[in-house]
Amino acid sequence: MVVEQMAGNLIQGLVLGAVYGMATMGLSLIFGVLKVVNVGHGAFIMVGAFIALLLFNTLGINPVLAVPLAFLFGLGLGLLFYYSVMQRLIKAPELATLLATFSLGLLLQEVVKLLFGSEYRGYNWAVGKIDLGITVLPMSKLYACAGSALIAVLLYLWFNKTRAGSAMRSVVEDSEGARVCGVNVGAAYALSFSLGIGLTVASGVLLTMFIPVGINPYMGGHYTLKAFVIAVLGGLASPYGAFFGGLVFGLLENGSYTLFALIPGVEPFALTRFFSFLMLLIILLIRPTGLLSEKRT
Amino acid sequence: MLNVKRVESGYGSMQVLWQPSIQVKKGSITSLLGPNGVGKSTLLNTIFGSIEPWGGEVYYEEENVTRVPTHKKVEMGIALVPEGKHLFSNMTVYENLSMGAYLKRALAHKEESLELVYTLFPRLKERTQQLAGSMSGGEQQMVTIARALMTRPRLIMLDEPSQGLAPKLVREVFETIQKMKEEIGLTILLIEQNAEASLEAADFVYVMHEGIIKAQGTPDQIKGSAEIREAFLGI
Repeated sequence: MVVEQMAGNLIQGLVLGAVYGMATMGLSLIFGVLKVVNVGHGAFIMVGAFIALLLFNTLGINPVLAVPLAFLFGLGLGLLFYYSVMQRLIKAPELATLLATFSLGLLLQEVVKLLFGSEYRGYNWAVGKIDLGITVLPMSKLYACAGSALIAVLLYLWFNKTRAGSAMRSVVEDSEGARVCGVNVGAAYALSFSLGIGLTVASGVLLTMFIPVGINPYMGGHYTLKAFVIAVLGGLASPYGAFFGGLVFGLLENGSYTLFALIPGVEPFALTRFFSFLMLLIILLIRPTGLLSEKRT
Repeated sequence: MLNVKRVESGYGSMQVLWQPSIQVKKGSITSLLGPNGVGKSTLLNTIFGSIEPWGGEVYYEEENVTRVPTHKKVEMGIALVPEGKHLFSNMTVYENLSMGAYLKRALAHKEESLELVYTLFPRLKERTQQLAGSMSGGEQQMVTIARALMTRPRLIMLDEPSQGLAPKLVREVFETIQKMKEEIGLTILLIEQNAEASLEAADFVYVMHEGIIKAQGTPDQIKGSAEIREAFLGI
């Protein structure tokens, strides 16, 4: 019984983990290339969630189609924020970029609140479910998982098989080295920032395919926290590391939930969060470079 | 080939360069001497464009390139071997060299460049699949120079290429620089703290101190002046 429940929850965790991973890739990409921590990360996820909600509820557009639209919107938003704000701060002390991304997050929250109000909203996309015997998976969750995996693979191919991707990798490794090879480092910064924001906004759509309720301007906060834990799990500067970090996080979250639920008189969900951050602390203590990071020289 | 006129630059509000002017003749080795912290690296980085010039002008083959962005300068044939190597440590030697052939003009001649680089550094040919970060200091310096050659430069600027190397390797680096001039026909601007070796290799020498050019001449003229040697070079 418990074993079955655990197996079922772990399957759910793996599916959710893929989406978590995808939702962290943008954070890792921006950190890897620009060495900027996007503290406003969750707000960009929230923007994606609103794009999914509005497209579905007003135009009846399928969330799967909303993913590329949200990605394009995020690319534009990223370019706008890069050239208006971030570009000036690249060489400034870290505090400046932290404050800037924090304020951009607040700005987005307040603009969305002004336009759409602050009540909790949701949408209902019924596309059936499949029964695995030990657990029931809605098709929407499977689509979200498959979409996340596909995007991770595409990003991997882009990074490793294209000329622009190799330029980006060289900037991650050593921006001065990239410069002497003739890479336009400024353009690489702009591209990776907007790509990171595009991925993050798109991940907001995927997350609503998983949890289509509770959409409101302030929903991003706990995703920022989760993304930090996942990014550290995955080695911080690597988008694919982040993807696998997401899988691990999804498994840990759901696995620990199942175990905590066995303890009488305990509210398992609250403990799950405690457990996640305990994991973060332990990892930072034993492997400050991240659990899944390659051996860096 | 390179004509630097009264450039000024620095970091933040601290001015480092106080209008030094230098000229590098086509096909020559020009050496910039002087102790640490007098602005030699700043001058190279200002010529290359990694540091934005505050004033003055830089001409490359008669063209004003003072404010041309670095990636365009690389395309025009200016290469920099930066101090501290700046290799891509988690990439293989081959991937590092390939990054040198990143721009279109270099990419079109990648195979020729590889052949040239492997002739110059046969050891790299045996190590194409090794991660650059796992190599010895001397080998890493070879990769850095080789990567710069992959950009197919006509002018190559080297910032302390022998720094931290054992005497035998220092000799190898200087032999390579000679070969780059004689066999490939490159023009070379060299920064060195190793004054004796550079005086040996150079065709023309500038002595820099506190952001200005204190002396200039042929190596024999510089060696001949006890005053310059004692005051600025310590030899």
